[in-house]
Amino acid sequence: MYTAGLWLISLILPDPHLPYRKEFIKKRDFVYLGALLLLPLILSDPLVYLMVLAGIYAILALGLSLFLGYAGQISLGHAAFFGIGTYTTAILTTRYAVPPVGAFWASALAAAVFAYLIGKPILKLKGYFLALATLGFGEIFLVIVKEARNLTGGVSGIFNIPWFSVAGFIFNTYLKQYYLVWGVLIGLVLFAKNLVRSKMGRSLLAVAASEDAASSVGINVAQVKVGVFVLSAAFAGLAGSLFACIMSTANPEGFSLGLSVLIVMMVIMGGMGNLYGPIFAAIFLTWLTDMLGGYQEYSLPIFGVILILLLIFFPDGVGTRLNARLIYLISYWGRKRRRERVDI
Amino acid sequence: MTPWVHIPQLLAAGITIGAIYALVALGFVTIVRASQIINFAQGEFVMLGGVVTFFFIKGAGLPFPLAALMAVTAVVIIGFLLHLLVIYPLRKASVLILIMATVGASMVLSNTSALLFGTLPKALPPFSGEHPLDIGGIPVAPQSLWVIGATFLVFLFLYLLSHRTLLGKAMEASSTDPLGADLAGIARNLMVFFAFGVSAGMGAIAGVLVTPLFYTSYNSGTLLGLKGFIAAVLGGWGKNSGAILGGFVLGVVESVSIAFIPSGYKDGVAFVALLLILYFRPKGILGSPYIDSRRW
Repeated sequence: MYTAGLWLISLILPDPHLPYRKEFIKKRDFVYLGALLLLPLILSDPLVYLMVLAGIYAILALGLSLFLGYAGQISLGHAAFFGIGTYTTAILTTRYAVPPVGAFWASALAAAVFAYLIGKPILKLKGYFLALATLGFGEIFLVIVKEARNLTGGVSGIFNIPWFSVAGFIFNTYLKQYYLVWGVLIGLVLFAKNLVRSKMGRSLLAVAASEDAASSVGINVAQVKVGVFVLSAAFAGLAGSLFACIMSTANPEGFSLGLSVLIVMMVIMGGMGNLYGPIFAAIFLTWLTDMLGGYQEYSLPIFGVILILLLIFFPDGVGTRLNARLIYLISYWGRKRRRERVDI
Repeated sequence: MTPWVHIPQLLAAGITIGAIYALVALGFVTIVRASQIINFAQGEFVMLGGVVTFFFIKGAGLPFPLAALMAVTAVVIIGFLLHLLVIYPLRKASVLILIMATVGASMVLSNTSALLFGTLPKALPPFSGEHPLDIGGIPVAPQSLWVIGATFLVFLFLYLLSHRTLLGKAMEASSTDPLGADLAGIARNLMVFFAFGVSAGMGAIAGVLVTPLFYTSYNSGTLLGLKGFIAAVLGGWGKNSGAILGGFVLGVVESVSIAFIPSGYKDGVAFVALLLILYFRPKGILGSPYIDSRRW
């Protein structure tokens, strides 16, 4: 247990052998962290709950960002891995009385195993066909969940999943869940930041740019693609486990194509090859879904129209465009300041 | 009682639904042959065909043939609008963006239909009576014959369009060799525009044909669209003959599978078939002009 903990910590701490060590944690990271810690102070209870949901979606989006944003592969079936995580936790905690922490890791493992089995054959595909194959996987998952009533409770699902708890501390209020979810997210962000700076991360970018070129410099393209697919599925499994503990129910309603589309939207909006963008997009889209939910049946058409408009006007992500402008502004500001310093 | 007793009847049902899948698959192929775009909103055209016809009959009190004609026209116009408002502005975007845009369009279409025409499933009256005909000892609903007959008329129309007219040739040229098409003076965007119209029309006809057999509700388009796509991949991507063959094969396999597995798993069969075909023979049964085995 102790060594496992050390190994986990070593994953999220900066690796001294990697390049750009100094830039691993920038000033903006502390700003984001501070904002996260202080946010519950100014938010009302429903908004804290919304941020809990947003945090879960952000974990999903972060995982998919590695697969879609960095490796450039399309998955329209990520809701299935989220569902596998949720059902693993639900079944383990309610039937076998496994403590939630154990179920948490088991969920990631289950999602990763399924992703490996599915990914091995279908990651040979590209573009539209990969999209369709992953979508097909998502649909099969839904059919199985609805039909295997003994295991999953069918359409009505599983109830009374216990709260998440660590060593007797029970996360039973929205505020505690907020810190739980966003704490997990921070760990995963550090892990992902580490990963994209590693050999693996560079390989992902190379595969996204050109698979032929990547394999010509000795990258095992198939292995890299399956690896990142498994990893992003494990992220989805973790998110699913948290979702199960917070909702305390699991039913197939939530894992349809709509959720997969929403996650992909988060990544596209956040920008390709970007870790923070999808997180902000997750917060924005969760808020938007919640706000449009107030308009009942008008919400989905409006949502669809907003998606199309975003794609037409911000095809490479709102975050990317804004970032480009911000970088321009900041560099302009930096140049000015440097010149002043020279004057002194 | 063995499951084999039901096989003839299931085969008949499978061929009927296979004709519908073939129509949807042809809708995909028509657009792909003009532009290499896959329209994930194809299923919504089918749904709209049924639902709008229902609206014209029940809401406006029109006779069936006129209502069906007007519904098909309306859906063709929607297809044109889809191209103008969504596809044309995104003609230079990446595959992923186009997938998401058509998925978004499908969301808008299905939910707007729920808003305008209600969420209840709709059923049209069969074209000619409910009394089942007896063909070689198998009871067959007359609507099935209508479906198959009308489908063959559409096949014929499409064959003539794509092999016997300049428009069809121009459409195909703009997909296979964009630069060559430009040099030959083909207005490529116009071709894609027409392809969307034709594809929407075929979807709407499928919708009118299928609604007397199955209930059509605002959300049934997505699954029909996906199965049509699977049929197109199964038969051979980008080929009209492949789409037709794939449609019938998928319909029959799905229908016959009911005899052997619980009917709840029926929707999964198509996707398992898809994963198998993508894994073992991505070109599909008849092979595909767009997929060579090296790249896939």
